[in-house]
Amino acid sequence: MADAIAVPRLEPAASSWKFLRVAPGILLLAAVGCGGKFLEQFAGGYAKAHHWTIPNIEYVLWAILIGLAISNTVGVPEIFRAGVATYEFWLKAGIVLLGSRFLLGDVLKLGGVSLALVAIEITVSIAFMTLLGRAFRLRPKLTSLLAVGSAVCGVSAIIAAKGAIEADDEDSSFAIAAILALGALALFTFPVIGHALHMNDHAYGLWAGLAVDNTAEATAAGALYSDAAVLAKTTRNAMIGFVVLAYAIYWASRGQAGTVENKAAFLWRKFPKFVLGFLLISILATSHFFNKEQTTALANLSRWAFLLTFAGVGLRTNFRELRKQGLRPFAVGAIGEVVIAALTLGLVFGAQRFLQL
Amino acid sequence: MSENVEGIPKRRRWVLTLDGWAVAAALLAALLVRAGVLKHVPW
Repeated sequence: MADAIAVPRLEPAASSWKFLRVAPGILLLAAVGCGGKFLEQFAGGYAKAHHWTIPNIEYVLWAILIGLAISNTVGVPEIFRAGVATYEFWLKAGIVLLGSRFLLGDVLKLGGVSLALVAIEITVSIAFMTLLGRAFRLRPKLTSLLAVGSAVCGVSAIIAAKGAIEADDEDSSFAIAAILALGALALFTFPVIGHALHMNDHAYGLWAGLAVDNTAEATAAGALYSDAAVLAKTTRNAMIGFVVLAYAIYWASRGQAGTVENKAAFLWRKFPKFVLGFLLISILATSHFFNKEQTTALANLSRWAFLLTFAGVGLRTNFRELRKQGLRPFAVGAIGEVVIAALTLGLVFGAQRFLQL
Repeated sequence: MSENVEGIPKRRRWVLTLDGWAVAAALLAALLVRAGVLKHVPW
């Protein structure tokens, strides 16, 4: 696993020992998340009591900032690391539960628009990142990983592609470091740009979902503004299997990766199953399986799951470790991200004008 | 399908991925809410 990630990935297996191993980290996630929620209320109340006009900093940012402060000062002690790594589990569970807030009609409408924009975004991103990687003379497989990471869904896509194209650990570490560092920057810049451009909820959500690579960061950048980011990002995630399969076939044709025997099985293995869970909950909500109170309860459960996720995003980001990975992959990623952000912003404004988002 | 040394087919072990666990947990929570076990979730 990449050095750039401050915490190891959680192996999905259940036992009482494993639960005890993750419990301290989950408690830390909850403490950091609740700390963020408390600070949002405290800062707002304090400013109001003193008649100050300050921008409202939401719990999402507070939770991430507390996590970043811990990770980059005292560090995350070993005992908490396995539990902190569960943030990805909470993210996916939260996305499934968020399906209750989207009626199927909205999913089909916004998802349809997203799908068209995602197709353009992926094609242009891969072409651009490939050219950029060649211009900067990056290793070809590192370029492929950076292209997959910025075109589809960040770290998950890089890990999926790493196995399929038989890239080495060093290349995937570089690519993951670049994507994580840029994701952290996007978290703070996207909402500012969205407000400055007076983007509406749907347009901003679509943009964040199309341009921010990692699902956790896209969800956080969206939570500051609009839930639509999750829907657009989920559409993008659904493409992971196709893109990774195309890369696997390409590298196999050059004799530098194993051949893919069963393409359908490959696609199913790489397909993010939480997309299906999100759709199922959305279908149930549309068919009035849940009443209004129950829908609110599900939405709140989703918020709690995201609270743990956002705490994890801060806690797993260690800038010292990211810096060690080198400047060139970061430069390629940064240039690529700026171009992709500008391109997707143009696409969203185009869609807003012609499709009235 | 993989085979052991005696040539008897091994049963494939079913392992749920992280995605699978997350979906299962979320659906279970949704069922608990629907059944009224979880009535009010504060925020």
